[in-house]
Amino acid sequence: MLGELEQLVLLGVMRAGPDAYGVPVHDEIQRRASRDLTLGTIYKTLTRLEEKGMVTSRIGEPTAQRGGRRTRCYAVTPAGSRALQSSIRSLRRMASGLDVGLDPV
Amino acid sequence: MMRICIWLLERLVPDDLAEHVIGDLVEGQHRGQLWILRQTIAALVLLRAPRQRGDRMIETFFGDMRLGARMLRRSPAFTATAVLTLGLSIGATTAIFSVVNPVLLRPLPYANPDRLAFVWERNRDGTPDNLGFQTIKDLGDRSTTLAQWAAIGSWNPTVGIDQPEVVDGDRVSWSYFRILGVAPAIGRDFLAEEDQPNHNLEVILSYALWQRKFGGDSSVVGRSIQVSGTPMTVIGVMPASFDNVVTTNAKIWRVLGYATSQPFACRTCHHLRMLAKLKPAVSARAATVELDGIFRTLVASYPTQYASVGASVVPAQEEITRDFRPALLALGGAVVLVLLIAIANVANLQLARSVRRNEELAIRSALGASRGRVTRQLLAEGLVLALLGGFAGVVVARLMLPVLVTQLPPALPRLGAIRFDAAGFGAILGIVLVLALALALAGARRDRGDLGESLRSGKRLSTGGHHLARSTFVVVEVGLATMLVLSATLVARSLLLLLSVNAGFDPSHLLTLQVSAIGPRYAGAANVLAYHKQLRDVIRAVPGVQSVALTNQVPLAGNVDMYGVLDPDNMPSNPELVPNGDRYVVSPEYFSTMHIPILRGRAYTEADAADTVNKVVLVSAALGERMWPGQNPIGHHVTFGGPQAPTRTVIGVVGNVKHRGLDATTTQQWYAPESQWLFADNTEAIVVRTTLEPSSLVQAVRRAINSVDPTLPISAVATMDQVIEQSTAQRRLALVLFSTFAIAALLLAIAGVYGVLAGNVAERTREIGLRSALGAGPGSIMRLIVSQGMRLAALGLVLGLVGSAGLTRFLRTFLFGVGENDVGARVLVVAVLSLVTLAACAIPASRAIRIDASEALRGD
Repeated sequence: MLGELEQLVLLGVMRAGPDAYGVPVHDEIQRRASRDLTLGTIYKTLTRLEEKGMVTSRIGEPTAQRGGRRTRCYAVTPAGSRALQSSIRSLRRMASGLDVGLDPV
Repeated sequence: MMRICIWLLERLVPDDLAEHVIGDLVEGQHRGQLWILRQTIAALVLLRAPRQRGDRMIETFFGDMRLGARMLRRSPAFTATAVLTLGLSIGATTAIFSVVNPVLLRPLPYANPDRLAFVWERNRDGTPDNLGFQTIKDLGDRSTTLAQWAAIGSWNPTVGIDQPEVVDGDRVSWSYFRILGVAPAIGRDFLAEEDQPNHNLEVILSYALWQRKFGGDSSVVGRSIQVSGTPMTVIGVMPASFDNVVTTNAKIWRVLGYATSQPFACRTCHHLRMLAKLKPAVSARAATVELDGIFRTLVASYPTQYASVGASVVPAQEEITRDFRPALLALGGAVVLVLLIAIANVANLQLARSVRRNEELAIRSALGASRGRVTRQLLAEGLVLALLGGFAGVVVARLMLPVLVTQLPPALPRLGAIRFDAAGFGAILGIVLVLALALALAGARRDRGDLGESLRSGKRLSTGGHHLARSTFVVVEVGLATMLVLSATLVARSLLLLLSVNAGFDPSHLLTLQVSAIGPRYAGAANVLAYHKQLRDVIRAVPGVQSVALTNQVPLAGNVDMYGVLDPDNMPSNPELVPNGDRYVVSPEYFSTMHIPILRGRAYTEADAADTVNKVVLVSAALGERMWPGQNPIGHHVTFGGPQAPTRTVIGVVGNVKHRGLDATTTQQWYAPESQWLFADNTEAIVVRTTLEPSSLVQAVRRAINSVDPTLPISAVATMDQVIEQSTAQRRLALVLFSTFAIAALLLAIAGVYGVLAGNVAERTREIGLRSALGAGPGSIMRLIVSQGMRLAALGLVLGLVGSAGLTRFLRTFLFGVGENDVGARVLVVAVLSLVTLAACAIPASRAIRIDASEALRGD
């Protein structure tokens, strides 16, 4: 079972598309989940997820708006998406039939 | 900010992440400083490189910081108050320091700034005086300590033909820019052969003037332009970075081109300044000794041409900051006092809080936290607080500085070099950090003994030492606040007294303007006089104008135009020792227009003005008394500018006018008709007495002036009230700053007194309850609390009054009409502070009265 942060960050990476790195992931989580995670939290979580084999990363191109620094782009591995699926499925099963104010899915 | 964050991240975050985090930070930096700071702190805490030497220490440190931050978040009211207090005071201190540093402390932006110096003639009373060209040349040529010298004369030419404009400038020796070590950015510098009569038609422009008047067109270099009606060649443009501190507002320079044979190059023609570059390793003192000696031989050779007794060499930095140094130092001192009060207040708050936190700390140590760890936690809290305060300080300083700069006097040297001073801020923050930590540490030390007891006794502890510390802080705060409030009171009283000074004329309903009659059409004096006559006629016809007069200068506008006044019937042995009088060459209606009273005799008439043989003059009462003590000046004769000048008969005595400033002591003026003067003033001031609000007539008067000749520039348009306001602008600024600081200090001090008393009442609930149970009435309980507050305030007041003896010495430049030891101001300050302290006592006292005896005693 994934932690809440891990779920948020994995989903953030998926939403941010093929070039998912710090700022877009941060913005996706902020926009959708209204959670203002710091970059430090995001990178720390990503590092942990990478150690667990749930994301991979590659070094991107340097850009001018980053002062010539390279991005580190993350992508969710099959293992990552499996863990996410099982995590969300468990939550759904736990919530089903209970009135927690959610629409039935 | 960004740079510091990057620096930290590069060092503390492992390389494989640092680049990406910093990149994200750069990419997102538009989200603001707060965002950057938050991200950096989070990244530092979470991503720090592990397993380094000393890492455990860092880890504990960050742990402490995190705990400190959490503790502070748990008491938001305390944190907000402390951060706001620190932020405002750090910000204000940084802003003032950002002004003081470039203006007073940083070396001048020239080559070898420590070798630049000004040379002055020294009067009998020690005051410096300008020099004549012959004297400058003699001093410069004979000296062996000066490497180079230059003469500087002020110059206000009219530049351009289509829209001519009066521009501030200087006439300078060819060596001027070489002495400063600054070369033109475009074109070339003056040459020695250009610095002689009839060759001196070269000008150099400032970058700003070149941009504004010539659109930054570099082809203007080498071209001829119209300067005061004469074609002159632009040979260069100074770089934009040239910061001119010799004459802060000069925008155009013309090569001087004097020769000693010229009449205006004489020894008594004191209209030049002398700039010099000392030889390497020669001190200003050594140069003074040498030049003083040379000057004495000059005086011995030409005894009738000198009134001064010596020469002085003053380092350039000292010279240009002389007028502003005391004021800036006073402000700097004031703001440092506010900062100290703020720190004392925060320390006080922290102490108050630590009392309530004794239990928490006791539990922590009972659960195994080492004593060191508890201390470290207190330290970390202080650190976090100081850092947050520092951050708020940056914001405050950045907001405050631009506003402050617009309020500073325009003549302040190096005004353009004032910007947020990061190094100064760092130093101030460092001091705050050290003090905050020291105070936190003191608090922690005090807590050592009683942690266990705190738990055992199960009640809030209050120890004598603790009270002493808090009371000391409050006494210091009140003392410092007293000094500031006293300063503000003295400055305010001075300004009020100054504004109530009778200027010698009626400034209400007066409009002043300046016109410059330049160009070939005004070559002869007769043409200028005719033009002036026309001006008077057209302006008088404007509806709403009561009367109009022309004058070469206006009082209080900062003009200096003086002549030595000589009585040919009573010639002194050295004509240079005669008194000086402000030259007023005015049209006959001047006195009635300005409402300057005729005390004796009469004003001159148009008929007098038309008479070119019998020359007449009016003198101010002060000049009359100085020339002919105890006698009626009417009928006496005078000459202006030497024994050979035409003799004039005094026909009237008028009231004294404050010419140099409302605070001026010399008010010696003389008034002569324009047609009888030696020359016609091309640049002439117009004073208009209006029946309506004077500013409402500006357009109509301008139109009237343009109807005579639309090509001539009109400048210095202002009502006389504005002129007076301008002349007191510096004092107003000082008053605003001092009162702001004083009010801040007062508020902080009240908060301190209140805090101590409120805490005290809370701690003494049982005792007070017992007292009231034993029959003490509300009156006596109130007296108990109030007298405690008043004792603190009284002690602070006494300390403050003693301390202010030192402070007010720095205030001298702001004072007028009140002594620095003014008793009235001190009585007022004591009254204000007592009342304010009483108010601060009110709430705690009323709370004490309401303590219910039975409840208080049952409390524990």
